[in-house]
Amino acid sequence: MYNLFIFIKKYNAVILFILLEILCFILVMHSLPYQNRKMVSVSNSISGGYHEVTGNWADYLHLKSENEELAQHNAVLLQALGCDELAADTIYVDDIFTYIPAHVINNSIDKINNYILIDKGRADGIEPDMGVICGSGVVGKVLNVTEHYASVMSMLNSYLVVSCRFIDNQYVANVSWDNMNYLYGQVRDIPSHLIINKGDTLVTSGFSNSFPADIMVGTIEETEDDENSMFSTGKLKFSTNFNTLRHVYVVKNNYKAEIDSLCISR
Amino acid sequence: MYFPLIRNIVRFIILVIMQVMVFDNIRFGNFIHPYVYVLFIMLLPFDTPKAKLIFNGFLIGIVIDLLSGTPGLNAAATVFMAFIRPFVINTITRKSDIEDKNAPTVTEMGLEWFLLYALILLLLHNLFLFWLEAFSIRLLGVVLLETILSTPISLIVILLIIYIFKPNKK
Repeated sequence: MYNLFIFIKKYNAVILFILLEILCFILVMHSLPYQNRKMVSVSNSISGGYHEVTGNWADYLHLKSENEELAQHNAVLLQALGCDELAADTIYVDDIFTYIPAHVINNSIDKINNYILIDKGRADGIEPDMGVICGSGVVGKVLNVTEHYASVMSMLNSYLVVSCRFIDNQYVANVSWDNMNYLYGQVRDIPSHLIINKGDTLVTSGFSNSFPADIMVGTIEETEDDENSMFSTGKLKFSTNFNTLRHVYVVKNNYKAEIDSLCISR
Repeated sequence: MYFPLIRNIVRFIILVIMQVMVFDNIRFGNFIHPYVYVLFIMLLPFDTPKAKLIFNGFLIGIVIDLLSGTPGLNAAATVFMAFIRPFVINTITRKSDIEDKNAPTVTEMGLEWFLLYALILLLLHNLFLFWLEAFSIRLLGVVLLETILSTPISLIVILLIIYIFKPNKK
């Protein structure tokens, strides 16, 4: 026992180092997507409050361009509705999906795994795994939810893969980020017999219950053929500008529980 | 400012605020992330016990983590850096050189020595941090690129901070 004390006293720094590193690694592991959502929500509620204050200032500075974009988006929506009246409620509802508007209060584009913080949470009906879109396209997927905030895994995250469809020929492929540039993503699993041209448009397939079908994802920038593989890959330009993201809509699938109950066997 | 504890607390708060409010928000480019808060660990006195050094590293790392929403990431890197600091000091200096010195600052140790010291610690810290963030061999290229680009920028910013806050003794 005495020897043990001597040992601990002699190597206290090394022991402390190892213990703290283990603690940190556990924290990091638990904060990785899908492993444990609870750990992050603590730090979410702390950083959420701080980022809301700084976000408010940033919002103010971007008011003008934001207004223009909103007006443009409104016009497109109104045209789609075919009526001249403005909806009184800000929450748009169609049959299957409800769109909950939210503000981006923190956003990163230069990490390897990027997250967005939005100012709507459980109190507003937001739950993990819901899709997030904006006026110009897909944004990401809700990861953690606290009472008034939620963190969103953006498309610029190595853990997020979105199922997409070519608008021309209805073939399905998977889109993820290329980890390099916030403007471009990767399209994988394109059947190699398919002829892809620059400028081909990809929209969401609607196969996941997070996103409605036919939400814009991006356009093909260039393709690479791998002769040895059955699938080819392509470079995609996101239609969403992640750098200037301010207003987003969280997509709530009203029949999620019903769909999930059929998918249990998967 | 002659009470080391108060000086360290002030330094801690200023560096955390600088990191979270300024440097986390500046986008120098896709691969450049300057980490200036590590200066706190670099400047702790030579005679700080190893355990205290590591604990201080953990403390500033976890505060940064809580404010930027990445639990454990920065803390792991700073703990590693605090652990490795005595070895770095022993490698680049003779024991007799630091006997009458108080802390590893530019004023006491000279600019050249401090540059080498800060460069080694920053390289190790950044490599550890970016590797832990990526956590896969597939992204090794990105990790190395981030480390190589971020380290010199961090070093320059740290030197600027040191010269801005340097006490005038003339």
